[in-house]
Amino acid sequence: MQSLTNRAKPVDRRPMNFMERMYLPAVLKGMSITFSHMFKKAPTVRYPDETRPFSPVFRGLHVLNRDEEGRERCTACGLCAVACPAEAITMEAAERKQGEENLYREEKYAAKYEINMLRCIFCGLCEEACPKDAIYLSETFAPSNFARKGFIYGKKDLLIPDPKTEAADLAKAKGTN
Amino acid sequence: MTIYIDNKPYEAKAGKNLLEACLAAGINLPYFCWHPSLGSVGACRQCAVKVFKDEKDTQGRLVMSCMEGVRDGVRIGVEEATAKAFREQVIEWMMTNHPHDCPVCDEGGSCHLQDMTVMTGHDYRRYHYKKRTYKNQYLGPLINHEMNRCIQCYRCVRYYHDYAGGDDLNVFAAHNHVYFGRDKDGVLQSPFSGNLAEVCPTGVFTDKTLKEHYTRKWDLTMAPSVCTHCSVGCNITAGERYGKLRCVVNRYNEEVNGYFLCDRGRFGYEFVNSENRVTQPLIRGRMSEAVSEEELMHELSVLLSQQKLVGIGSARASLESNFALRQLVGAGNFYAGISETEAYLTRLIVQVMQEGTLHSASLKDIEQADAVIVLGEDVWNTAPMMALAVRQAAMKTAANNAAAQLSLPAWHDAAIKELVQTDKGFLANITVAGSPIDNIAQVTVHAVPDDIARLGFAVAHELSNTLPALANADEKLLQTARQIAAALQQSKHPVIVSGLSCVNSAVIRAAFDIAAALNNTHWKASVAYVLPECNSMGLALMQAPSAERIFDSSNANDMTALILENDLYRYLPQATADAFFSRCSNVIALDSIHNNTTEKAQVLIPAATFAEADGSMVNYEGRTQHYYKVFIPKEGHIKESFHWLNSMRIAKNNRSNGHGLSLDELLHEAEIEMPVFEGVHDAMLSPHYSIHGEHIPREPHRYSGRTAMYANLNVSEQKPLQEEGESAFGFTMEGFKGQPPADAAPFFWSPGWNSGQSVTKYQQEPGGAFKGHIPAVQLFHDKVDKAPVFFKDIPEAFVARKQKWLVLPQYHVLASGELSSYTKALASLLPEACVVLSETDAALLGVRDGDKIRVHPGTTALPVKVHLSLANGVVLISAGLPGTEVYNWGDWVKIEKE
Amino acid sequence: MSVQFNEKQLTEFNRLVARYPEGKQKSALLPVLHLAQESFGGWLSAESMDYVAELLRIEPIEVYEVATFYSMYNLQPVGKYLFEVCQTGPCMLRGSDDIIAYIGEKLNIKPGQTTEDGMFTLKTVECLGACGYAPMMQLGKHYREHLTKEKVDAIIEECRNNAAVNN
Repeated sequence: MQSLTNRAKPVDRRPMNFMERMYLPAVLKGMSITFSHMFKKAPTVRYPDETRPFSPVFRGLHVLNRDEEGRERCTACGLCAVACPAEAITMEAAERKQGEENLYREEKYAAKYEINMLRCIFCGLCEEACPKDAIYLSETFAPSNFARKGFIYGKKDLLIPDPKTEAADLAKAKGTN
Repeated sequence: MTIYIDNKPYEAKAGKNLLEACLAAGINLPYFCWHPSLGSVGACRQCAVKVFKDEKDTQGRLVMSCMEGVRDGVRIGVEEATAKAFREQVIEWMMTNHPHDCPVCDEGGSCHLQDMTVMTGHDYRRYHYKKRTYKNQYLGPLINHEMNRCIQCYRCVRYYHDYAGGDDLNVFAAHNHVYFGRDKDGVLQSPFSGNLAEVCPTGVFTDKTLKEHYTRKWDLTMAPSVCTHCSVGCNITAGERYGKLRCVVNRYNEEVNGYFLCDRGRFGYEFVNSENRVTQPLIRGRMSEAVSEEELMHELSVLLSQQKLVGIGSARASLESNFALRQLVGAGNFYAGISETEAYLTRLIVQVMQEGTLHSASLKDIEQADAVIVLGEDVWNTAPMMALAVRQAAMKTAANNAAAQLSLPAWHDAAIKELVQTDKGFLANITVAGSPIDNIAQVTVHAVPDDIARLGFAVAHELSNTLPALANADEKLLQTARQIAAALQQSKHPVIVSGLSCVNSAVIRAAFDIAAALNNTHWKASVAYVLPECNSMGLALMQAPSAERIFDSSNANDMTALILENDLYRYLPQATADAFFSRCSNVIALDSIHNNTTEKAQVLIPAATFAEADGSMVNYEGRTQHYYKVFIPKEGHIKESFHWLNSMRIAKNNRSNGHGLSLDELLHEAEIEMPVFEGVHDAMLSPHYSIHGEHIPREPHRYSGRTAMYANLNVSEQKPLQEEGESAFGFTMEGFKGQPPADAAPFFWSPGWNSGQSVTKYQQEPGGAFKGHIPAVQLFHDKVDKAPVFFKDIPEAFVARKQKWLVLPQYHVLASGELSSYTKALASLLPEACVVLSETDAALLGVRDGDKIRVHPGTTALPVKVHLSLANGVVLISAGLPGTEVYNWGDWVKIEKE
Repeated sequence: MSVQFNEKQLTEFNRLVARYPEGKQKSALLPVLHLAQESFGGWLSAESMDYVAELLRIEPIEVYEVATFYSMYNLQPVGKYLFEVCQTGPCMLRGSDDIIAYIGEKLNIKPGQTTEDGMFTLKTVECLGACGYAPMMQLGKHYREHLTKEKVDAIIEECRNNAAVNN
């Protein structure tokens, strides 16, 4: 049969000679590769104490953003939910009332905002769909929980700390402190 | 005739404009100010196309397609580069001021402006200066105002002011600060204000009740439905999310409501979400009153085995539920849950209509009438959409006359309005206490019911000499009669509107005589009788005696009464209803809302509302319409009444073939049992209906959040809602993906057309009939050859009695039906109940506006309102408002000063 | 009601209404509004518009829509001298924007405002039909044409002098 590539190599089917039957050189050759790694830099990191650098486009868990004054940016327009291929986002809108201008940036806000992280495929389409810079996929990943229920993220899990009242928390979350 | 659009030939109807022709041909041409019901004014400059002289003309000229009529062989270019550039430019201009606030705008996702912007291809803002801003107004609890979004198409004023006759919304100022609104903050006065939300091509006017529980159109689960708030039966689309009914929008029906709804219909949906809902089967007098279904059925099988079982049907329950009750208790024990007077009057109407010698007028017939007589009916308050149709008749007749003078096309709204000025077609509005349509009527008469009837008979006599003349009639009445008769004789399609609000059979008979007398010469007149509730006609056709007749039956004691979706205290005077309950040993009530009747029930069963049920209703004209479940409530015990009643029937008869009756089986049984209902099953889609083997999804294909919506309650995704048995519609977004026929469309949508304007894609032509054959099930059949049997007993002229008054109901436009008053937004607009007296009578009693009086046998004292043109000897009492008492309407009462 | 035409004004009102056919008294709205503006201090308050509506037996909103449409009606109190500067196309091309800005700067007011002493009001209006003399403005019953900054200075000076003389 004609080979499909030009890299085909005929197999050497000659009987092994004495040296080869001792296997020792082959073992030593193998072990030398193994032991040489003891002197190289370890490729693993001590996760979770250490983390690898992320690509700038890494897509981890979502956060709901606030503006500089700490007001929620999300207006519950529903575009992230409609863009979501996993149908994992749901929300309920509410009207901002007088006196709540310091809480919500625009006249509508999400009274309820939930992401089912078990269904989420971290495609980032919600982030792309958002007209208000409100939802971002962060660098956090691998959440853990004792119950599946814990993976239904509500607003309190998603909202970033308020830069005005919880500046320290925000800095910690951003890793800039 | 043939027209050429982009060099392709299309068939077009004469008398249309180019825009209509393009849309009818399925071509996407953007527009704003034109509306099928409002005509063209050429205000928005959006629908530009090129018109060419002939094949050789390559230059062409740019015209507004809505302002140019079709001509045979006309060649137009929609895809012409100049025309496209022009349209894109116009959108760009509009967008210089339109805020980019779609994310917070309620219209987003069903916005005509969004659709048109995408259609023209405008996508980048080059103008970088500040946008113009306005102050918004408070327009009441129903409509939200956000003036910055305005694109100056003038549709709102043209609808509200010109079409619906509202005089508190208008346009102010000029050029770049044109303002559409009221003169100052305040509640919009027209009961048709809700249509602003649909007429406005963008988000200036939006549904304020929706804001309480906002949901985008793409996130709603929707189904075709029928309004349950009056006897007109307007077609609606109702939407649900998270188990709550979120909104109601118009569902176009050429013959019935066209493009509009009244505020009662549009905003009266929230009773479905009410905290006052019956959600749990209750057996009262037990340790734990809430019971399981098994316990309930066990208890019921004991109660139903009683000998003296009576069923009380309901004028607001579906045909199926009423029929199921009738089958359960037996035809002889089935009574209509209305007063004897109402039953008598509806029977008379049924008798008249079944004769078939008169055509039953649809709203479209009324709109197209060239003369309308409203005989004794307070249409504005009892059937608002009919009042709007009556107004259109008056306006359109004048417009048609004007258009004929100068051979103007009917769509040329601005030119015709200019010519018409204040002319109106003939309308005689003959009522007890006047109505807002008085101001467009040529003849306005305020009189007591007997005199209204006499006037009607006098008109009939003028039209046909064979009919008896009035004995000792006064000259003024005869003169009015002659005036009306003369106008009717000149008309080609007159409509006589009457109904029950006079509580007078002579009025109904007189209306018949007028219409029948007109048909003596040739078949032209039609008649419309307004009834009190959405299925009053369906119940009347079952020919059941009224609930008051129960007392006549020999075993009217220790009864077990089964009351279907009915608050008897709304139909019967309190004493009568109390007497009835005192004779019942057991009361089983099925209802959706707690009311005075359900309080009396030992066994209370949760019934589904229109949004949670399938059912058929017969409207005032005998048209059967079917509504479909929008959703199945989370509270699993809520079921359609016919469902419960079928189970009871099985339990009572102690036999079961393993399953209950399905809806169409029930309807078939009804058709066999009562031939009058022949054909009603045609009004519903067969439960086995499918397209290419797929059912129709109730959810748009963009429905979001499926795996997240209820994940907070249960991480495992729940099974989608499933109806018991087959259904044409599915509760998910899976199923047929194309455009279903209009009667099987849970909502109107078409690629690129997300707003309600997408209905054009379902019509043969804009504002016309739907594509395909949509059956209209009419239970009354015209019998052209049959000679009418005239009524000849004319009542005596009304004489006011001493110390006694004729009591009549005064309904309110937002609450003549029971359910709309349970809606928060509407309830806040309802006036305080009052007693209306004539000036002389008030003086006689020594009372003034606001003084409290007590009308016997009522128990509460009500404030007086003095009416200047009300006849003496009559007292009008607010009816239908929450907490108002019921009297023996049409009876004589005593009045006592508080 | 405090606003009311006096006898002479009422005669004028009746003359205006009599120009139009019976029942079409609404047609007299524009001249009657002018009369009202003249009679009630050079501007139309909501009260005076309601009064006009009552006289003509129409809804007040019908008066508002007309009065707000035309720039000739002042819906705010105006100063003794009203500068109505045209800002429509031809005048704009000939530099009306600069003239408006200059007047504003000089009097320290913005278009639509009145000076604190109640002397001047600056108002921008639509085409006054004198495009051949652009840029221009109306002052009282006269047009001031081919405006330049110097001319504006002179006009303001002239007004101040007139006011001083009249006082």
